[in-house]
Amino acid sequence: MRRRTAASKGRHPKKGVALPLDGEVIHKTMTDKKITFKIKRQDKPGSPSYWQNFQVPYKPFANIISCLMEIQKNPTTKAGKTVAPVTWDCNCLEEVCGSCTMVINGKVRQACTALIDNLEQPIALEPMSKFPVVRDLQVNRSRMFENLKKVKAWIDIDGSHDIGEGAIMPDSDRAKRYVMSECMTCGCCIEACPQFSLTNSFMGAATFNQVRLFNLHPAGSMNKEERLDAVMGEGGITDCGNAQVCVEVCPKNIPLTESIADIGRQTSWQFIKNLLVK
Amino acid sequence: MTKPAKDEIHYILLKLHSLTGIVPVGAFLVIHLSINSLRTVGVWPFQLAIDALNNLPFLILIEIGFIYIPLLFHSLMGFYIIHVGKTNMFRYRYQRNWLYTMQRLTGAITFLFLIYHMGTTVGAKLWEGKHYFEAAPFLIDILNGEFQTWQGILIYTIGIVSATFHFSNGVWGFCVSWGILIGKNAQRNGAIVFAAMGLGLTFLGLATVLEFNMNPVSVEATG
Ligand code: HEM
Ligand code: SF4
Ligand code: SF4
Ligand code: FES
Repeated sequence: MRRRTAASKGRHPKKGVALPLDGEVIHKTMTDKKITFKIKRQDKPGSPSYWQNFQVPYKPFANIISCLMEIQKNPTTKAGKTVAPVTWDCNCLEEVCGSCTMVINGKVRQACTALIDNLEQPIALEPMSKFPVVRDLQVNRSRMFENLKKVKAWIDIDGSHDIGEGAIMPDSDRAKRYVMSECMTCGCCIEACPQFSLTNSFMGAATFNQVRLFNLHPAGSMNKEERLDAVMGEGGITDCGNAQVCVEVCPKNIPLTESIADIGRQTSWQFIKNLLVK
Repeated sequence: MTKPAKDEIHYILLKLHSLTGIVPVGAFLVIHLSINSLRTVGVWPFQLAIDALNNLPFLILIEIGFIYIPLLFHSLMGFYIIHVGKTNMFRYRYQRNWLYTMQRLTGAITFLFLIYHMGTTVGAKLWEGKHYFEAAPFLIDILNGEFQTWQGILIYTIGIVSATFHFSNGVWGFCVSWGILIGKNAQRNGAIVFAAMGLGLTFLGLATVLEFNMNPVSVEATG
C-alpha cells in the first residue's frame, strides 16, 4: 500500500530521490532479480496457440505493460531463442480505456494496473478466451460494439425538426447513471461470465447495463421499447443465469447485477404490454 | 413492430421455464412435502390425505396437466440451459458462482431422483392398477420397505436435499430475473429468507423419511 501511494503521487524512485523505500528498492535492482512470464501466444486469427516463457530484469513498480515493453526490446525466450515480439493492446495506462484487458494468472483484469510486486511468479498471461484472438494478447472485441449498436446505446437528439430542450433529470438518477456510465467496454464481465461463449449469442452484462443507463435518461427513454425489444430474444436478458461473477470482476464497480435485475423487470412489463396492447 | 418470431419464442420459452419452476412445479413440491409430513403426526392423517388425493375427480388429467407436462417442460429446458452455460466456479470462486453451478447440478440430480421416485410409487401404482382407496395401503407398504435400507434412505436424502435446495435457490433466481429483487441489499435479504424457507422444507422432508424408517406401520384400505 505504501509503495502504491508513492507511485501514484508520481514520485517514482529515481536514483537520488530520497524516499524511505529507496534503499530496499536499489538493493533489489542490483541483485539481478528477474521476473518470469509464461505467455500464451498465437500468430494469427484461427492459428493454434502455444506457450513461451520469458524473463525480464526486475524493476520496482513495474506493471505488466512495462514488462511487455521489455520483452519487445529483447524478444528472447527464457530458453534463449529469439522470437517475434509479443503483441498486446494498451492505450490510457490508467484503467480507463479497457484496451489492455487480458487474463493474468487465471483472472481477467487490466494489464496496466496489474503491478508485478503483487503477482505470483511465473506470471501467466493469456488473451481473453471469449473473444477471437487477433494475435498473441490482442483480441477483437467488436461483438461488444455490435451489441451496443443493437440496443441503441445512445440518445437520439438529431431529427428533421427541433425537438426542444431536454427534460430535467432528478439528481438521484444522475448519480445512478454516473456510476453506470463508467463502463469502458473492457470485456472483464464477459470473460468471467459462465453463460457467455465464443459461439453463442449472449449479449453480456455490459450490454444490459447500457440499456438501463439510457432508459433512465429522460430523453433516452423515448427509445426505451426498442432497447428492451433488442434484449428480449436469443442471447438476451433471459439467458443470464445470475451467477453474478460479472459484478465481482468489473474494474469500475458498476452494479451490474442491479442493472440486470432492473432490465429483467423492465422486459417483463414490456412483455405483458406487448401481449395486451400490441 | 416486426421482429424474428424466433426471438419471441426464445423469450417466452425461457420465461415459462422460470415460471413453471415456481408454479406449478415449485408449488407442488411445497404441497407434496407438507402433505407427506403428516406422516410424522401419525399414519392415519397421512392415509386420509392420500385417500383424498387418489379420489380427486379427473386425477389423471390433473396429474398430467399440472405436474407431468410442466415438470417435463421445466426439465427439458433446464437441460438446454445447462448445455448453454459453462461453469467456471473453480476459476472465479465467488459464492454466487458456486450457487449457479449447484443450481444446475441439483436440477440434474432431482431429475434422476424423480425418475426413481416416480417409478417406485406412481409407476408401480398405475402398473398394478391400485386406484381410489386401494392406493394408500399399496403405497404405504412400498414406502415402509424403501426406508428400511440405508440405500433407500440415502437416495431419498439426496433427492430431497437437491429438490429443496434447487427450489429455494430457484425462487431467489426467479425474483432476480423477473426484477422483483433489484438492489444489492434486497437480493441479499431475499437470499436469507429463501434459505430459511429451504431449510424448513428440508426439515419437513427428512423428518418424514425418519418417521417412515423408525415406525413402518401397514394400513388397511379405508373405503
Ligand atoms: C422438484 C422439481 C423442481 C423445482 C421445484 C424447480 C424449481 C425451479 C425454480 C423455481 C427455478 C428458478 C427459475 C429462475 O431462475 O427464474 C429453477 C431453475 C432451474 N431449474 Fe428447476 N426445478 C425443478 C426441477 C428441475 C429439473 C428436474 C431440472 C433439470 C435439469 C431443472 C433445471 C433447472 C435449471 C438449469 C435452472 C436454472 C435456470 C437459470 O438459472 O437460468 N429443474 N428451477
Ligand atoms: S461493465 Fe465493467 S467489466 Fe463490463 S465491460 Fe464495462 S467496465 Fe468492463
Ligand atoms: S449474472 Fe452471471 S450469467 Fe448473468 S451476466 Fe453476470 S456473470 Fe453472466
Ligand atoms: S491501457 Fe487503458 S485500461 Fe489499461
